[in-house]
Amino acid sequence: MNAPAAALDLADIPERIQSEVQRAIQRSIKGVEYIASSGPALGSTPKDILHVRGTMNLYHYRPIADEIYRVPILIVMATTNRGYILDMVPGQSFIEFLLKRGYDVYMLDWTAPRPEEKSLRMEDYVLDFIPDCVRRVQQDSGETDVTVIGYCFGGVLSLLYGSIFNDGPMKNLICFTTPVDFREMKLFQNFSDRRYFDVDRLVDSVGNVPPEMILSSFDMLRPASRVVGQIQLWENIWNDEFVKSYRMFDRWATDTLPLAGEYFRTITKDLMWDNKLFNGTMSVGGRLADIAKIKVPILHAVAEHDHIVPYDAAKHLIQKVGSADKQEVMLKGGHVSLVAGANAIKRLWPKLDSWLCERST
Amino acid sequence: MADKSNDPVAMWQNMIGEMEKGFNSFANKAMESPEFSKVVNQVGGVTAGAQKQLGELMEKYLVSMNLPSRAQMDSMAERLQSIEGQLNEIKALLHQVHSNSAAPGGGYPAAPRPPRTRRPPSAGGEQK
Repeated sequence: MNAPAAALDLADIPERIQSEVQRAIQRSIKGVEYIASSGPALGSTPKDILHVRGTMNLYHYRPIADEIYRVPILIVMATTNRGYILDMVPGQSFIEFLLKRGYDVYMLDWTAPRPEEKSLRMEDYVLDFIPDCVRRVQQDSGETDVTVIGYCFGGVLSLLYGSIFNDGPMKNLICFTTPVDFREMKLFQNFSDRRYFDVDRLVDSVGNVPPEMILSSFDMLRPASRVVGQIQLWENIWNDEFVKSYRMFDRWATDTLPLAGEYFRTITKDLMWDNKLFNGTMSVGGRLADIAKIKVPILHAVAEHDHIVPYDAAKHLIQKVGSADKQEVMLKGGHVSLVAGANAIKRLWPKLDSWLCERST
Repeated sequence: MADKSNDPVAMWQNMIGEMEKGFNSFANKAMESPEFSKVVNQVGGVTAGAQKQLGELMEKYLVSMNLPSRAQMDSMAERLQSIEGQLNEIKALLHQVHSNSAAPGGGYPAAPRPPRTRRPPSAGGEQK
């Protein structure tokens, strides 16, 4: 250590101690507040429920702009998680951003499948739920064309839908962190190793796959992160913004949905084991779903540090689709911070707007 | 401002970050092995079976105590969900009727929707 640096440090010590003491006091006060209070209200952008059928919910967000683009957007949420990740709080809501930029936004969101919905199959999602929602969006908006945005497994469902219904009405497709090559989801591959994982036994015994199991499989990808998150929360509990953000993301991450048993069986066998989407042999309800048949303009946003869908699992999407107008963008961030939070506000959202606005008229 | 390399708080935070990375990386390596998959799935299978048996046992116990079992609570939740679903359908129908009534000769006008004439900033000047 050199002398000037040491002198500077010594001069700073009383100020630093004072600051740390104040933070310690604030931690105690805020810690009590944290336990006593509920988190911020999430998903509060005004919306109308257009249709509910079992696990499927179709929302229409009320337009904000005086003039909107012709082509409405249908967001297809991942079946494992709730859609409010895209509508956190005002100022940090992707939905609100789209509305302000003049888009007409609909969302296909999911609730926990009921026990009797354990028999829902991939066909129900791809050949029934999504087409039904697209029809309702067309009817409600009065437009034939629809832009589809799929997040994570919502992207997979959108790809399957787009490859089967390749003659319309999907006008544009945007995928966020969507896996195509399931061999590259190494840890999930190992968790579901066909030599040891008896998916039939699991589904036959539990029906719907419990959310705890889904959550633990996500947590196992980064086993230390939840504990470290708690430590960081305690350190920063004096900081209201940090706490608000922590609570939003933590609530969403733990609000995992169960998966319909038959649907999970297909995911495991066709995608995890046989990698049919990558091989071009995937079929849904007897209809071939080859993503090479997708011809519409497509944007795929991937995250540089995605631990759930690693880049190797997502990178083939753009190569494999048949579209002439196609683009992949890799942005800084992880699987969730790509689409929500401060990182998304400055990176993904403006990028998406600049790509989509020209294709929405 | 104190030099980060000498700041004990920054050092602590850095250490936690490094520990997190190190532990995650170590655990991920361990989890990539087939042995891990074998053990986890064996344990998972046993746990699922045990949970099922325990659930059945608890249900019998709750019946004897004249208390509702989880299955009965689930059934009530399902009925509530079904009622909610029907309410939503009624709401959607009302919404539809309300929208239809905006047609000439209809009753109450629906909230006007903005025109679908927006152009991209480059084509239509400044963004609104």
